[in-house]
Amino acid sequence: MAAIGIAGLVKRFGAVTVIEALDLEVGAGEFFTLLGPSGCGKTTLLRIIAGFERQNAGDLQVNGRLANDIPAHRRDMGMVFQNYAIFPHMSVFDNVAYGLKQRKFSHREIEAKVSRALELVRLEGYERRFPDQLSGGQKQRVVLARALVIEPQVLLMDEPLSALDAKVRVGLRRDIRLVQQQLGITTLYVTHDQEEALVVSDRIMVMEAGEIRQLGSPREVYEDPANLFVATFIGTSNLLDGRVDRSGGVSGVQVAGARLDLPDLPAADGTELHLALRPEHLTILDDGPVAEGVVALEGVVELVSYLGSQSRIAVRVPGVAEVVEVEAPSAAPASASPPGRAVRLGFRPESAFLFAAASGERVR
Amino acid sequence: MAVPAGSRRLDLWTVLTLAALAVLGIFVLWPLANVFTASFYGEFSGSLGLENYATFFGSGYFRRALWHSLFTSAMGTLLALALGLPLAVIAARYDFRGKAALRVLVLLSLISPPFIGAYAWIMLLGRQGLVTQALAGIGIGLPTIYGAPGIILVTALNLYPLVFLLVHGALLRIDRSLEEASLGLGRTRFQTFRSITLPLTLPAMATGALLVFLGVLSDFGTPALLGENYPVLATLAFTLFLSEIGGNPAMASTTSVVLVSVALVLILLQRWVASRRNYASDAINRPEILRMTGWQRLVFPAFAWGLMAIANLPLLIIVYTSFLETSGPVFLQSFSLDSYRQVFHLVRGAIVNSFAFSGMALALIVVTGSVVGYIISRRDTMLTRVLDTALMIPYVIPGTVLGIGFITAFNQPPIWITGTMAIIVAAYFIRRLPYMVRACASYVYQIDRSVEEASINLGAPPAKTFMKIMLPLMAPGILAGAVLAWVEVINELSATVVLYTGATSTMPIATYSQVLAGSYGPAAAVASLLILATTLSLVLFTVIGGSDRELTV
Ligand SMILES: Nc1ncnc2c1ncn2[C@@H]1O[C@H](COP(=O)(O)OP(=O)(O)OP(=O)(O)O)[C@@H](O)[C@H]1O
Ligand SMILES: [Mg+2]
Repeated sequence: MAAIGIAGLVKRFGAVTVIEALDLEVGAGEFFTLLGPSGCGKTTLLRIIAGFERQNAGDLQVNGRLANDIPAHRRDMGMVFQNYAIFPHMSVFDNVAYGLKQRKFSHREIEAKVSRALELVRLEGYERRFPDQLSGGQKQRVVLARALVIEPQVLLMDEPLSALDAKVRVGLRRDIRLVQQQLGITTLYVTHDQEEALVVSDRIMVMEAGEIRQLGSPREVYEDPANLFVATFIGTSNLLDGRVDRSGGVSGVQVAGARLDLPDLPAADGTELHLALRPEHLTILDDGPVAEGVVALEGVVELVSYLGSQSRIAVRVPGVAEVVEVEAPSAAPASASPPGRAVRLGFRPESAFLFAAASGERVR
Repeated sequence: MAVPAGSRRLDLWTVLTLAALAVLGIFVLWPLANVFTASFYGEFSGSLGLENYATFFGSGYFRRALWHSLFTSAMGTLLALALGLPLAVIAARYDFRGKAALRVLVLLSLISPPFIGAYAWIMLLGRQGLVTQALAGIGIGLPTIYGAPGIILVTALNLYPLVFLLVHGALLRIDRSLEEASLGLGRTRFQTFRSITLPLTLPAMATGALLVFLGVLSDFGTPALLGENYPVLATLAFTLFLSEIGGNPAMASTTSVVLVSVALVLILLQRWVASRRNYASDAINRPEILRMTGWQRLVFPAFAWGLMAIANLPLLIIVYTSFLETSGPVFLQSFSLDSYRQVFHLVRGAIVNSFAFSGMALALIVVTGSVVGYIISRRDTMLTRVLDTALMIPYVIPGTVLGIGFITAFNQPPIWITGTMAIIVAAYFIRRLPYMVRACASYVYQIDRSVEEASINLGAPPAKTFMKIMLPLMAPGILAGAVLAWVEVINELSATVVLYTGATSTMPIATYSQVLAGSYGPAAAVASLLILATTLSLVLFTVIGGSDRELTV
């Protein structure tokens, strides 16, 4: 049984439709991430589930019960907000104990549960501190403990890490994932950071303008994007304009003066396409002959960015609007190319994602 | 949290909003409607029409009162601007010592009610005044303080702090880079001040001027004590309504409506001006503090401290004379506690009443004001916007007019409270409720919504969330609003003077009637008690406010 079921959900603010007929199921114990650009409706969806907004149409079920009419304070969901929302006039202990007191636990139980929760988020010994004596990361841990300690049916997190600096963010997201797996708690997580989504999620729902663009595991959305939006929103993609070429026996695509053989293309001759190529699928070729099945493009190195073990080499290719980014080990000779050097890029046609230029849908 | 759209149940906040609207309807709109209606029933004929207005504008007597009101309000405003503006510039822009002390003294002259100032100036410059007598002794005659000059002087010295506080704040919010840009373009400091700084403070100046104008216009105590043969609308309405020789409610109502109309026209004018010039900016760089040079080193401090001395002189005089032995209006040169003894003997009831009425009104104000302040800043619906606007009305209505309205509306069933203490408490409550609402609302705006939502999410229902999360976080705003309301309520004269009976007299009434009766000693003693109650609450506020834990969300 799904922990959360959403059917035909519509949300409008005045005349603006923010969410249009959304269907969704989240399994029990799943870490489910809503990922999408700013303003696409992630927060709105989360707030509808939490009961802070009401949908204009559609149903929300939680663990098999219809939840449409349950007021926010009876939904039994733990929520973690972007800007902490810590109670500034209460100690860490009182913050975490707040929901427990509401649930009329005994003193002994409250103390035991609070200290267990603080242990879980690695804040033992901070009980007596006040929020103004905590760092941003610590505040967010308190708020996480506050949400977890009530053992909610669902944990809701709205960009819980976006107010923190990069290093704290990486540490805390690992902790969030570990705690979630340890407790097996169904989690809905909102972020617009695609890397974060890939790292923590069981499944990701990529949203654009209130609609689902793809729903799948991190591996699926990265390695098998359903459309151009997902391919460019998640990870880096080099975009090349191409055209279906059915002249000759086997179907193919004309790109930047080269022809890629791609048998069985389900598209008419002359169809405009976008090719998306991940940087790691491109290589800088050495001077020898090109291997069987590899397509080569001529270009000129514009800039090499050193990223540690890997480097990004930006190559200007005639006939391609944007520079093409190539990833190579920093130790490789290509990573030492001076700007202006002529190089050849190589890739295998089957590694490219093909999208219809008109609709953005995946062709192959 | 937005009220969930489409939920049809009446939620707690909607019920409370409706309740607040009902209270405003009963205690503001209903009395005003009564006054308004009464003004259209002819004084002589008793029939509906414009007869009273014809009388009003046809008679030189009424027209003169209107002119007196406009004249003293305009001149009082000009004088307040002339005092408040330079002081604001000096305090905001120059390296001036004792700014903290200056602020306290400015506040002190603002919170002491004008009728106390009027009374003190009578003691100094009145017919029997200390200064008048002393100068007459060496053959110098002073111009009279009774009539327009006194009203203008006293109200301006009492209300210039409004100009000061607003303009001072605006000057500090002007980003330094704007002025630096102008200087960088080759303008001199004076040109920059004229072409950049002044225009940017204009809205604050206009608001300050409006508040002063409304303050003078609706003041009752000052013209009542200093006016003598110089009636203004507020005193005229009062005398017409409660005249010993048969009151004239019809003309009192007409005068009240004219008074309220003048106030309304001004407010609309100011809103219109403000909406056309709005330079909201947040100072990122505070303005530069200039060194005083040459003549400035002498003139600026002399002006500032001189003004402080003159504006606060009334307080000193009153406290000083309260300890002098008196015989009628004449002070003798020896100290005694006689005045206090007399006061505790004669007007003990008034003292008890003052604290009781003010205390009850304050309790109502705190409870209602914090809830309403929360509602109008958190819930944006048609109803709450109506409530927000309706709360402006008690701000604007002069106390005398509200008093007349209360008597007209509440001297018969269903609400028959004329002559009781309930009517006075209700008047205090409704007049100063807006202070509390504003103070609370400005705090709620600063509290992140998600703090509240987190509490609800953890299972606390809305009412409990309000009590456990919002109230503690609003506490500083509640305290500020409460102090302000307390100071205003305990010094209230203009509505009380219409509403009180022998048994429900208060300290301001006692002061007022003792002055009128020429018993200056007891008057000084009661006024000193008022000053004490006022100053103590301000001190308390500073002490508590200073030790308060900094609540940053
Ligand atoms: N109370 C509201 N009234 C009107 N429009 C709203 C309201 N709340 C949200 N919106 C609109 O709904 C859309 C979705 O907002 P939402 O906050 O869900 O976006 P989001 O995906 O969370 O974005 P972000 O990543 O910036 O947080 C936006 O266009 C926003 O302007
Ligand atoms: Mg959001």
